[in-house]
Amino acid sequence: MPTRAKAGAVSERQHSKLGDAPLPETYHLNMGPQHPSMHGVLRLVLHLDGERILDVDPVIGYAHRAHEKMAEHRNYLMFLPNTSRVDYLSGMIYNLAYCQAVEKMLEIEVPERAEYIRVICSELNRISSHLLWFGTFLLDIGGITPFLYAFDDREQILEILDRVTGSRLTYCYGRFGGLTEDVDTTFLDQTRAFVKRLRERLPEYHALVTGNVIFRGRCEGVGVIDQHVALAYGVTGPCLRAAGIAFDVRRAEPYGIYDRFEFDIPTEQSGDALARYKVRVAEIEQSLRIIEQAVAQIPDGPIMPDKPKKRFKPAAGELYFAVESARGQFGIYIVSDGSEIPFRIKLRTPSFSNLAAMPAVLPQTTIADTIAIVGSIDVVIPEIDR
Amino acid sequence: MTATTRAKTNYLVTVLGGLFSLLAGMLITLRNLFRRPVTEQYPKSKPALSKNFRSAIALVRFEETQTHDCVACMQCVQICPSFCIAIEGDKPEGLKRKRATEFHVDYALCSVCGLCIDVCPTNTLKYSRVYDQVAYRRDAFVYDLLTEFRDAEVAYLEKARQEAAAKEAAKQAAAAARANKDTAPAAANASKELEND
Repeated sequence: MPTRAKAGAVSERQHSKLGDAPLPETYHLNMGPQHPSMHGVLRLVLHLDGERILDVDPVIGYAHRAHEKMAEHRNYLMFLPNTSRVDYLSGMIYNLAYCQAVEKMLEIEVPERAEYIRVICSELNRISSHLLWFGTFLLDIGGITPFLYAFDDREQILEILDRVTGSRLTYCYGRFGGLTEDVDTTFLDQTRAFVKRLRERLPEYHALVTGNVIFRGRCEGVGVIDQHVALAYGVTGPCLRAAGIAFDVRRAEPYGIYDRFEFDIPTEQSGDALARYKVRVAEIEQSLRIIEQAVAQIPDGPIMPDKPKKRFKPAAGELYFAVESARGQFGIYIVSDGSEIPFRIKLRTPSFSNLAAMPAVLPQTTIADTIAIVGSIDVVIPEIDR
Repeated sequence: MTATTRAKTNYLVTVLGGLFSLLAGMLITLRNLFRRPVTEQYPKSKPALSKNFRSAIALVRFEETQTHDCVACMQCVQICPSFCIAIEGDKPEGLKRKRATEFHVDYALCSVCGLCIDVCPTNTLKYSRVYDQVAYRRDAFVYDLLTEFRDAEVAYLEKARQEAAAKEAAKQAAAAARANKDTAPAAANASKELEND
């Protein structure tokens, strides 16, 4: 029958198109978007030969909220609450980055005290993000205990930040020119106490996790992102530094007052999941160092300019401003047409580039490794989709 | 040492090392077993809300007037990124200033950014301390902020009207007094100038 032959041909063509693999018996596995081990709504289409991964297609867009489009329909101030919702785990860094970008565009002077508070809050936020990653990553690869310890410490940070900002996760603390609330001595005392506490806890984390034979077995040599892949895909943040490239926006293009603090940029050479783990834990220590210095040096004074502007109308032009978020380089590209409403705001988010490197990393690994590898690059899906 | 014995030793070292790392972890767990639990038993023990806790907005009740001071300037409505504030205002009879007659906030849309509080010219907006709102319907989150002010507002308006009327009466009395003075020849020039103004 001609019709059947035709139908058969179509299905065969579709099949070969879908397969597109060297082996005839390729198995397709949808990992996600609702998979307990996938963070958020990431979908990975795995092309499998048994347990071995031949190819991988990351499918994104499930958490798309059109933040960039929203920016084109509201004035500069009204975009503020959106920023911390792009990456909800380092919302403070994103919120303040947007403030700094607009301040740079409008040449607004920020008072010294506000700059110091910004550094303290950003670094606290970075630690809380790394602690959450630490907990959930280990949860992914089967360790439940560290998660509870990490969240206990993270809770301290959330409480400290909640006291000044009024929010626990999606902060809207920054304003153009300063901040909404001043901090008091209690905040500084709490921060000092937290630095001391976490310093005491870190050796415990190392004893519990870093030396653990099961953990090392699952991470050592797994998911190597080497320097070439990292540079080709624009991988930034701890993933890049784990590949041996000491690039940190805070040092490379210092913003705010980061040039005043002493801190190291931890790097590792092997580029595997274990290296990324080590870099992040070392970064927690460096953030503690920065916080310690900032708390010691914080001056008195106002937290907003004497005469804050009411209307924000940058001259026509464009600006790119980048900060180091917990996941890598977060860039804001603003195009102004001279009106109160931005013509375009483009957000360069680190997780997007870091995830983009996965098709170069995952092939020839196994499904079990996928969990460890994708977990170790620390993606935040709403940040990828925006 | 032959290759076989070396392999055997390595294997033994790995096994013992692994065993040690597991015991090290268990020791930490054991130590933490005797720590005070950090879990808060929420409904039984409620943690204190933080100093700057942000929640749905509310109107400030001023000591002097015992009511809010929303003049329906609509600045918060315009700045709200979530478009969740709806206000209607009107000039009450006998008064020159506008007052809010309707003030609705849809907390389900609010993102507690605080921009409305920043722009308020009369500082009559604040964060409420509501944190445990639960509902089956979305409209349950649309708060009418003026409900608790209805009685106070009536009293305030009555008082304001009386004050305005008294002011007006005083003004008229002063004008009448001036008119009486006008009959005196000495003040004639001055009053003429006033009339010209």
